[in-house]
Formats: sequence, C-alpha cells, structure tokens
Amino acid sequence: MTANTRGRLFGKNVLEGTFRAAPDDDLFLGELLVAIDDATGRRYLFRVVDVTYGHEHREPGWAERVAGTLLSDDARDDAGAHPLYEAERRTYRVADCRCLGYLTPDGKEFRKPKSLPTQFSRVVSPEEADLAFLERSMGDLHVGVLRTGETTVDVPVGISGDSLAKHVGVFATTGMGKSNLMMVLAGAAMQANGRYGLLIIDPHGEYRTELARHPWAERRLRTYSSVKAPNVSALRVSLGEMTSDDLRTATGDTSRAQTEALFELERFYSSQYPGLSWLLPFSQLDDLVGFRDVDLGKSVALSTLQVLHRRARRICHLDAISADADVSVATQIERDLREGKVVLVDASGLDSTEELLVASFLTRKVLEAWQEAFLQDRNAHAGLPTVAVVLEEAQRVLSKANDADVNVFPRVAREGRKFKVGLVAVTQQPKLVDAELLSQFNTFFILGLADERDRNILRGSAKQDLSALHTEIQTLMPGECLLAGVDAPFAVPATIDLWSNALRDATPPPEPRAEAPVNVSAMLD
Amino acid sequence: MPLGAAPLDDVADRLAAILAGPSAVVTDTEDGELVIDGDLVPRPLTPAPTAPCETWAVDGGQALVRDARCLQVYVVRAGRCCFVDRVATVEEEGELRAHLVGVGQRAMELARLDGGLALPANTAIDVNLLRERVEWDGIERTIHEACEGALVLVDGDLRPDPRIPVPWVTDLLADATARGVTVVGVTKHTSLARGGAPLIGQLEAEADAALGGRTRWWARIGHSPAATGVPFTVVAARLDPDAAYSFRLDVAAGVDPEHAIAQVATVADDAAFPGYPYPLTVADRLAACPPWLREEAWMTLEERLHVAGIPADVLHRAFTDRHRMMERAS
Repeated sequence: MTANTRGRLFGKNVLEGTFRAAPDDDLFLGELLVAIDDATGRRYLFRVVDVTYGHEHREPGWAERVAGTLLSDDARDDAGAHPLYEAERRTYRVADCRCLGYLTPDGKEFRKPKSLPTQFSRVVSPEEADLAFLERSMGDLHVGVLRTGETTVDVPVGISGDSLAKHVGVFATTGMGKSNLMMVLAGAAMQANGRYGLLIIDPHGEYRTELARHPWAERRLRTYSSVKAPNVSALRVSLGEMTSDDLRTATGDTSRAQTEALFELERFYSSQYPGLSWLLPFSQLDDLVGFRDVDLGKSVALSTLQVLHRRARRICHLDAISADADVSVATQIERDLREGKVVLVDASGLDSTEELLVASFLTRKVLEAWQEAFLQDRNAHAGLPTVAVVLEEAQRVLSKANDADVNVFPRVAREGRKFKVGLVAVTQQPKLVDAELLSQFNTFFILGLADERDRNILRGSAKQDLSALHTEIQTLMPGECLLAGVDAPFAVPATIDLWSNALRDATPPPEPRAEAPVNVSAMLD
Repeated sequence: MPLGAAPLDDVADRLAAILAGPSAVVTDTEDGELVIDGDLVPRPLTPAPTAPCETWAVDGGQALVRDARCLQVYVVRAGRCCFVDRVATVEEEGELRAHLVGVGQRAMELARLDGGLALPANTAIDVNLLRERVEWDGIERTIHEACEGALVLVDGDLRPDPRIPVPWVTDLLADATARGVTVVGVTKHTSLARGGAPLIGQLEAEADAALGGRTRWWARIGHSPAATGVPFTVVAARLDPDAAYSFRLDVAAGVDPEHAIAQVATVADDAAFPGYPYPLTVADRLAACPPWLREEAWMTLEERLHVAGIPADVLHRAFTDRHRMMERAS
C-alpha cells in the first residue's frame, strides 16, 4: 500500500460502501474518507459508520480460537508464546461507510451519490481540496471546525444567519456542550455586525458574564436582568402588555378547572384592565370567598381560585414585573433586535412559569412587530435583521400537549420564517417536542444523546439522512456535534469551538471612524 | 450366494474391541513397508533455540477441470513459500500445469512429466502422479535454492508415489542432507496403526499420562526400509504444548530426527493452529486450486476449442456430468 492508502473499496451499493483496511488502521466512527475512482476521475466522499474485524480464514470459529490461544497464554503469564504469523495479511478491518457524494473530476462541484465508484478503488484520507466545497455551505455564523473521526480539519463549520428564521434545534444531554455552543453562536451573531438579532432567554444566568467578555459585546450585546450589575439593564415588563395567552403558555400544565377560572377572571376584569394588569387587583384581594360568591357568582371553586391567587401574587411581586407600562423594556428590546443586537434576558431570578411568561411575551412582541412590518411595508421588512429567540428546555412549550392556539412558540415555528423570526430551541429531550413542530426546524445541532428515543425522533425529522449515524451520535464526545441542515450537503461532523478559544480568536470590531476636525477656513471661504 | 447380514451393531462391537483392546503390533496399514523399530515412548521435546535461517514449505494442489470419464482435464501446481524470522520472503503459487489424461494420452503426458526421471513407458497416469510429480519438482527446486541450515517442510510423508523412481528421490534427499538442508514431511492424518487402532491417538493419550497435558513430545516410530525405499525416519510429535493434535513426521535419513523436529517446533507456534507448522498452511493456500481457478481454466480451454472449430454442443455432450441431470430429474 502506498503511504496514504487507507484501504480498498470492495462492496455495497450507491449509497453505502465497504472497504478493507489494514488490521492496524485506526479507523474512527464519523471519519471522512475519499475513494478515488481512477476510471472516472471522481472522488467519492465516504463517512465511516461502523468498523468490524475481518480475517482471511473461512473456518468457523477461527478468530475465537486464536483469541482462546492468546488468552491461555495470558493466563499462564506467557504472553507472546503464540504469535499470529502474518497478522497483517490474515486479519484486517472492514469499514462500513455511507457515501456522502462525489466531487466532479474538475473538483468544482459536489454532487449527491448516484453511481458506484469502481470496485477496489483506493481509499485515502481527504485532502484539503476534497473538503473545500463545504466552506460554500457553512454560512456566516461560524461555530466550529469540521471533524473527521476524532481529529479536526481546518474547514470552518457553521450556519447561515438567514437559516435562523428556519429554526435551529440544539439537542444534547447535560454536559455535552449546549451552553458552549450557544455562547459561540451568540458570539458569531455579534460579529455579524447587525445582520442578525438573537433574543436569548437565559433561565440560569450562565451567559451574562461570559458573553460580556466578547470583544463585540460593547457594541452588539444588550443584557437585561433582574440582577443589578454593571452594563446590565433592569429587566422590567409591564403586566398590561402581557396577554392571557402568555399566561396560559407559561402555565402550560394548567388544569381544566384553572383554565375555566382564568376565563372567568378575565371576563370579570377585562373591561377595566388591559392585558394581565388585572393580576394586580386580583392579587390584592383579601376576601377571596366573598369575591368568588359575589363577583364570580360561585362559578369557580374556591381552591382553584386560591391557587390562581397565589400565582398572581407571586407574579406581581416579581421585580421584573411592573404594573406601570412606562417602565417596560419590551420596546427597547424590540429596538435592540431591530438593530441586529444579541439581547440576553437573564431570567435567573424567575421560576420556570415566570420565565416562560416573559419569554412568551417578548417572543410574541417580536413576532408581531416583524409580522406587522412584513404586512405593512415589505421594503422596511426586508431591511430588518433576521431574529431568533433562543429558548432553553424548549420542550416545555413545544410539546404536543402545549400546542394550543394561545401558545406563541408553535406559531413562530410554523409561521415565523415568513417574517424572518425563528426559534433556537435547546432541549435535552427532543422526544418530548411535537414531531410536527420538529419537522419545521431546518437545522439541527446534535450533540451527544444517550436516549434512543431522542435519537429516533431526530432521525425522522432531520433534513439530512441520519439513519446510519445512530452509533456516531451515541458516541459523540462533549463539544462534538453533527450539524444537519438544508444548506449542508450532508450531516456535517464538527467540533464546536471552545468559548475561550472563540473569545481569543474573535476579530475585534473595527475602530469607530474618527471624526474629521471642522475645517473652519473652508467654511469661511 | 446371498450376502451375509451386516448390521451396524456388529461393526460397533468390532470397532470397540479394536479401540479399547490391548496394544499389539504396530503397522503402516497403507503400505506396510515401514520398519517399526522405534521404542514408541513419548519423550519431552525442546524447540530449537532459534528458528532455521530459512523455513521453506512445499505443497501440491490439483483440480479436475472437466471429466468425460474416458478423458479428464486436470490442472496441478506446487505452491512454495519461505519464512525468515516469521516473515514470508517467498510466496509462489506455482505454475499452473494442465494435463489431459485418458485413452491415447499416456505417451504425450509421460514425455511432459519425465524431466529426467526415465519413467517407464507403461507408467499409468492419474491425478496422484501428476500432483506428486509437480510437488517433488517443487521440492527439488527448493532444496537447490535453500540456504545451508534451511528447513524444507513437505506436506505429507516422504514416501513418493510408487511410480516416481525411488533412486531419484533418494538422491534428492541425500543431496539435501549434503547441502545442510533438512527435509521433513508432515502428515496430518496417518494410517499408522497399533493393533488395528490409530497409533498417533494412542501415543497422545500415553504422552498425556506420562508427561502431563501441556508438553511437547516426540516418539520414534521407525524408518523406511533402506534397501527398497527412500530412506527416512518416522517419528510422531506434538510440536506445541497447546497443540490439539500430534502428527507423523518423516525426517530424511542422515539427519538427527530430534534436531529436525526441534527445528520444526520453532515454526509450529502460530496462535491460530498451535502445533502445526505455519509455513505449510501458507503453502497449502498457495497451491490450492479453488473452483474459480478451475472455471477460468475451462474458459481458456473453451476459447481454444472454439477457435479450433469444435461446436459447443460437442463439448457439452462430451463433458456434461449425467449424474447431475439425473439428480435434477429427481
């Protein structure tokens, strides 16, 4: 074998390939390799999806017998007593591959596989030129580099900012690098210098300090938090701006009795109080029994009313919630997003319901604003940046059970792309997301997923064929991912940049243009 | 006269009497020509401290290409390999030789086979002679190519087909000894018997009892009659402690058999088949004539016959196996 030959192709079909490799060739799942078809000049790109042992001997049990002999040598502390003569000829490895496509002989075009490479074609490691085509489809939001097996290749991997409107799913179990990916994506959005806006709802407050370290943060990051800190705006939203739909979305698991009670309360208060501002007088009620008996005509069970009362009191007591519409930051957030900024809403002081209440309100606000621009003035809309709402634990609002008309998030998933509003749904449990909604997501970042049901649901919804990548997804290490999207020609294996490296490597923003001194003499002339 | 009864029970009883009965006279049931004068006592075998400078192995292969019963087309070849420090330095499949055996073909085939053997004109020709001839030719070439101190392993015993002249083989083995080349034949399945029962199996059991389960051993069995046959010594040996089986080994006369099999033991430690010299498995693979090779040979022949104007149906009628047609009809 020549120095760079990894094997010889011998079997399978147009979409799959098997090749034989030397017994000591360290083949990895997910490794990208090239079969050179000398007859046609095409270079077929393959991805290793499994590696097995092979041997020349046809007798049943040959390998087991050899292993047995070696094992007995070990047991006698006599390893090496029985060498395997000509092991490199008698044993080998067989790599099962998926054919990803082929490069035309001129190397300019990458096409989907539709023909078989010549049998016994030489399989080699890819050269730089073999993967150059990928750069064209890796977009302007760079998040990492191409990975082949366990090594990385200097080919940037990312997504197009415009694809944010077609929704992005980030799927991973704990510790696989979701937060790192989100920060890197946010950093890339900042560096896009206004082309894209991101509204990140951060329930754990983990991004505030880190994102602020980015060289572009001063210009392109706006942080809102109920926690007071430098360069952080106070998070305040007005009850009057929020709707009962936001409340229902946030309290997705509301019982039927509670839902009916909410209707009754809205009916009672709606004439006097806009939006959810009725929560304030309701929360201040002392005589719930009297209110129920007299004002609601005993139409609501007292226990149900008590639950809603407690919830209303809690919401009204939150620092982030105000009865005063003038202090709301919603308009400012909308303005930030119109300017293509990354808006971080630190919801760490809020519980899950309250966080979703705020998220639902802001998402609806953005969707309605972009929708209005679309309907009123197409030119103005065309000038708006594409925006996406980043939501952690997205299964809370994207499950089948939550797919009600009142829920803004499924609406964004279904209609948002038209208005350039997308979702970046982060979840550990894609199986809990409604499959129909998941199919609206055009880009998947798949990090390690241990649960087979999670992998299966993604397999059925991804825009790329993931059917052979079951094992690879299972064996992804932290920071490794598969990027499946409509722009990429196949599910691209990638290693996400470490946030610390992304900070180090980020190009600083250009210096503001210095103002020219006033030329007084010219003015006088 | 009607046939006598032959129930399986009778066979089982007689077989039991042979296998379990007392040991008796040792014979070589195949030819009965061996002089059995060894003590048949398994004794420990120590492998040579180093492997021979070269270990060669030679094996013959054959295939019946087509059979018209009165005419047969065979291909034969001798595979050879050479190992130095457990690495193959020579691997030869051997030239594929084609032979036409049948009515009226003897003179032509004898002329092609002779090569200085002076084979009598009435020598019967069959596939055994064809294969052995090419095999011994391979052994001869190997002995001449091997370095001094080399070991040459031959698949099977050292007693050639009776039609191959004994003096020729005797001279060849003597030449090997003179060159310092040790020739050893390894027989996997021998007809050596004691009291009618397979001898090697009995020796294995006796060695286990006397020396323990995991030992290399060897036992002297006898030798060929110097006056009438090719001179060699016959031993049995278990060449590796983990060997599943022991084998008959023929060592060319003039070589110390213990020294020779100690050398063989140095190449009988392959993890896949401990106890069998690995180079012989390689020679076997090289010499093998698999079905695809047979078909390829036939296609070449067919092409020549077509050029010669032989109609396809003539060929078909000549070489079709009628048995197969019968089987299909049933």
